[in-house]
Amino acid sequence: MQTLAVIVTTPPHSNLTTTAIDYIECALKKGVEVLGVFFYQNGVLNASTHLSLANDEYQSTRQWQRLHKDYALPLYLCITAAEKRGLSDDLGDNKQSNINNEFILSGLGELVELSSKAERVVQL
Amino acid sequence: MTSKNKSIAILNSRAPFSSANGKDALDIALIFGSYEQDTSLFFQGDGVWQLVNQQETDNISMKNYLKTFAALEFYDIENIYVCAASLAQRALPNDFHIDNVTVLNSNEFSKELHSRQILLRF
Repeated sequence: MQTLAVIVTTPPHSNLTTTAIDYIECALKKGVEVLGVFFYQNGVLNASTHLSLANDEYQSTRQWQRLHKDYALPLYLCITAAEKRGLSDDLGDNKQSNINNEFILSGLGELVELSSKAERVVQL
Repeated sequence: MTSKNKSIAILNSRAPFSSANGKDALDIALIFGSYEQDTSLFFQGDGVWQLVNQQETDNISMKNYLKTFAALEFYDIENIYVCAASLAQRALPNDFHIDNVTVLNSNEFSKELHSRQILLRF
């Protein structure tokens, strides 16, 4: 089976994010094993629980959640990039998080791991 | 770590301080280097501004991440390529703040870039 890793660096409202979602789903449907998606730079904003997009716009968060649920797709979040953009799993005393549950907190080492394992690495 | 080593090209295409792209690319380069991956750096377009010598950032309230380029050699990142045409278009001299920079014409630059298995662009 072919293996793929994808790096997402664009925010939820970018059409490149939509392209990434379409690309990944297409690969999955064709039987490619997607080892994981790594969210870096503004891509980490895709993990926010506070996104509010107009109803008639593309709901990227819902699509990431769907891909994760339907295909057990691992979603890796660069926590350093996330914290720089106001995302955290430890907000004050109540240990609240504004990161969606589907995302796995990780570091750049995870990207090295994915790059090393996957036959192909694609960045958007 | 896993399977066989892959060669990684990190292509820098943006100027250093107007966005975080250069810093983000450097962070990735150092991580790949620390995992002993075969990592090369490429500078093209406005990315060549990242190599210009004697840049000061005190008066623009930025941390000068370019100083960290000096660490590249300790991570065995020795392949550093810059596009000659991009330098010429910006009338920049071959005067860089790090050693071991190889200036390549467009064909050579392209050939080196295409010989890597993974390309990450910033």
